Amino acid sequence: MFKNYVKIAFRNLWRHRGFSLINICGLAIGLTCGFLILLYVGFELSYDRFHSKSNSIYRVVADIKTPTDLMEMSRPSCAVPPHLLKEFPEIISAVRVMNITLDVRNDRVKLKEKNAIAADSSFFNMFDFKLVQGDRSSILKEPFSIVVSQTTAKKYFGNENPIGKTLKIKNEDIDDRSFTVTGLMQDMPKNSHIHADMIISMTTYTQGVLTDLDDYWGTYDPSAYILVHSNTDPKYLESKFPEFLEKNIGESMREDKAYVSLFLEPLKEVYLHSPRGGTISGDMNSIYVFSIIAIFILLIACINFINLTTARSVERAKEVGVRKVIGAQKQQLALQFIGESIIIALLASIVSIVFIVLLLPTFNAISGKIISSSIFVNPAHLGILFFTAFAIGTLAGTYPAFVLSSFKPVHVLKGSFSTGKRGVVLRKGLVITQFTIAIALIIGTIIIYNQMHFMRNQELGFNKDQILVLETNISPAQKELKYNLDNLKGVLSTSLVSSVPGAYNNTAYSLMKNKDGEEQVANLDAFFIDYNFISQFGLDIVAGRSFSRDFATDSTEAMVVNEKTVELLGYSSPQEILGAHFSQWGKNGEVIGVVKDFHFRSLQQNIRPLTMTIAPDRTDLLAVTISAKNIEETLSAIQQKWEVVLPDDPFNFYFLDEAFDLQYRTQERFGNLFLCFAVLAILISCLGLLGLVAYSTLQRKREIGIRKVLGASVTKVVTLLSKEFITLVGIAFIIAAPLAWFIMKYWLEDFAYRIEIQWWMFAIAGISAVLIALVTVSFHAIKASVVNPVKSLRTE
Amino acid sequence: MIQIEKLKKSFRTEEVETLALNNVNLKVETGEFVAIMGPSGCGKSTLLNIIGMLDNPNEGYYHFDGQEVGGLKENQRTKIRKGNLGFVFQSFNLIDELTVFENVELPLIYLNVKKSEREQKVRQVLERMKIAHREKHFPQQLSGGQQQRVAIARAVVTNPKLILADEPTGNLDSKNGIEVMNLLTELNQEGTTIVMVTHSDRDSHYAHRVINLFDGQIVTESQNRAIGVQL
Repeated sequence: MFKNYVKIAFRNLWRHRGFSLINICGLAIGLTCGFLILLYVGFELSYDRFHSKSNSIYRVVADIKTPTDLMEMSRPSCAVPPHLLKEFPEIISAVRVMNITLDVRNDRVKLKEKNAIAADSSFFNMFDFKLVQGDRSSILKEPFSIVVSQTTAKKYFGNENPIGKTLKIKNEDIDDRSFTVTGLMQDMPKNSHIHADMIISMTTYTQGVLTDLDDYWGTYDPSAYILVHSNTDPKYLESKFPEFLEKNIGESMREDKAYVSLFLEPLKEVYLHSPRGGTISGDMNSIYVFSIIAIFILLIACINFINLTTARSVERAKEVGVRKVIGAQKQQLALQFIGESIIIALLASIVSIVFIVLLLPTFNAISGKIISSSIFVNPAHLGILFFTAFAIGTLAGTYPAFVLSSFKPVHVLKGSFSTGKRGVVLRKGLVITQFTIAIALIIGTIIIYNQMHFMRNQELGFNKDQILVLETNISPAQKELKYNLDNLKGVLSTSLVSSVPGAYNNTAYSLMKNKDGEEQVANLDAFFIDYNFISQFGLDIVAGRSFSRDFATDSTEAMVVNEKTVELLGYSSPQEILGAHFSQWGKNGEVIGVVKDFHFRSLQQNIRPLTMTIAPDRTDLLAVTISAKNIEETLSAIQQKWEVVLPDDPFNFYFLDEAFDLQYRTQERFGNLFLCFAVLAILISCLGLLGLVAYSTLQRKREIGIRKVLGASVTKVVTLLSKEFITLVGIAFIIAAPLAWFIMKYWLEDFAYRIEIQWWMFAIAGISAVLIALVTVSFHAIKASVVNPVKSLRTE
Repeated sequence: MIQIEKLKKSFRTEEVETLALNNVNLKVETGEFVAIMGPSGCGKSTLLNIIGMLDNPNEGYYHFDGQEVGGLKENQRTKIRKGNLGFVFQSFNLIDELTVFENVELPLIYLNVKKSEREQKVRQVLERMKIAHREKHFPQQLSGGQQQRVAIARAVVTNPKLILADEPTGNLDSKNGIEVMNLLTELNQEGTTIVMVTHSDRDSHYAHRVINLFDGQIVTESQNRAIGVQL
């Protein structure tokens, strides 16, 4: 019996090859999308779960409450971890992880390593990063020890064993010291929020270059992780922190009017759920969005499947009748048809494996991470794929099976059979559902791309073109380089800065005199600059003046702020803040000028209050404006100067505009993925429509023949056939438009600076959906309408 | 074998109710060959469908082999049909996706007959219908006469007590038609009861008894003296 079913199923598939192709491909594309999204979501959800102790590891974070502000820090102060370990028996170990940039060289290469960390010695005991060589407990004990990843080791040492070899390292704290490689680790897994190519021992700082770090309560720098006993209640532990803080820094908190509280975040939640950032972080919202898209696309594919199968039921009716007459029971027939749909679904899953293999590299590229190197790596994935196909086959096959097996042989064998009204209504409903989803995705894509375009082209309030940023270290040589470049052909302007727009900037705990004459505590964004920065970046002065060498005190006692700072301190005009007293990082003086607000961070964030002071000891970047002509030449001339002045330092630079746009990389990837899935959704919907129209025109062949005999033109017939489906797409549009508007309005709320949703975005989506549907429908409608009516009437 | 009393069957559309069978009484004995005739729309096929248990009457009694079957549910009817009844249609109704052999084999599959036994039975009946050389062909590759022989083979492979034929020669030329009628007569002579609906006077002469239906009622019944005339 079973063999008979399988045989019939395959012969049927082969006989209706076109239909089978549409059905299998539609489902395969759906499965492919669903599976790729599943891989992506699975990858995002897998972050930090590979550590065997991940259930007992917490990140320690801090809130600082000032009279005006609540700062949510991703890191506690430097002294917190060692003191927590000392005072709480529940804590087994505490590890600080500090992100650092290092200039690293040996006799082979010199490179700027931006992906480096400094970590406490129990790092490898707490986390399960795999070591190839070296002892977990001791490799990070000694100052000036370094552990490198296999890829990094290859860069510096080729195929030689790196253990025991030395690297020369410097940065703003470490002054060109020799580090000994004590360990070799496997490259860290991609699904780890802690990610580094090299790790230096924290003792390098605590016992080497910055000895008082363990008792330093003022700097909120290294991230902190604690490992607790498995029976520890984190909430209970948290409840004891206020007492701990009171004991250690109670007095200074009251003095500064800045009250600290500490919290614990489970390690497994840091990547996706922590709003504090501080490391690479994921976005739960995009996981929801893509999961919903995956479900929608699978739904569209299932709908196709149901639609095409029930539409074809007329053709299978005779078989059902014959089988029933011969002695088949309804359940046997239902099983046969469900079996057939499972076979189709499984074939689709095999096709989708081919698609996935072909698409995986592109998908990795678009999503920006190596989500999976191959589908065959994890047998569970294949299992999930087949199981999903099986489930879809069963679910989507049930309705058609029910319909088909209910046919009354008396009717179908007499040829007086036609599909019922109910089936038609259902099919129409399903087509509307498909196109609603597809149109909503198109609208979403249009809005996302417009927002991206807006962000890239918005007036930022500063010059970002032709500015080259050189990553230097603060040193007399750096000043010499600037002097050299100032006189170089092709270089228009230079300045030394601590931060440039779009890049990381410091925040400084400051006291500022407000409108009421009080010293207000505020954590303000801070740029440390030189005299040239404001004019080089084209910032507008709206009150007072810029820094000038004509005023001796400008280098030590002057501050320029932006309009947001004026607002924060309660002044009603920029003029009023001029002369207000400030105190910041040991510097005291007066505000001398106000610049117009400019976007020094991405347009996703509101412009924040910003202060600028002259501080040659903090400016590690050299911003160079170059002429648009002969860029290559100018670049190589700059490099030559660099090699002469800073022979030991790696030549590292980037263009400001490119770096600024990189901030939108996540959104861009989101947009690209969204576009891909929207296109696929449309494609699957159209495949379904194509199949449906084919059968609908087949059924109406006689009607078309009669109409033509009575004088209907080809255009009339095409219009007749298309109208029905275009109406469905129209209804879908009416449902999709408000739905998309609502969802996209919510999405846009994530952006501080955003576009307004315009009517034409809907119009474009609607018109393109109708056009696509029209082309799809016309293909068959025209074919059916040009047939000689004699032929179609005879074959009836 | 068949005893029908006061049988009524009506079809209802949105506005009209059509009485297809009105108070029909009919008896068919085992081994009989009965032809049902009448103009289009007189209820011939409806009667055949009810006899074949493809449909239920609205009123009246239908005893098949002593059992009341008129009010049975579809699945119960299917169970009785299996193995007891064979059908031959005007339009053959072979399954296009199955070969000749597989089409004939199908009723045996639904009867859960073992594979070896199935093969033997199918071969036998195909030989008998002189279509064995075509067993691997698909229905569309055969002529109309050949297709009807396959359909008859499928109807008789389970050795049914009753064969119901709905205009079995309607789609055939006269030569093939005669061949099919001779086959049915042969089966009847071997003991199978046959009820046949036909438009053709020629075909009706093969039957023992001809029943004429008009507007859902039996109007005349006549005995054929010459049985199995070769025309």
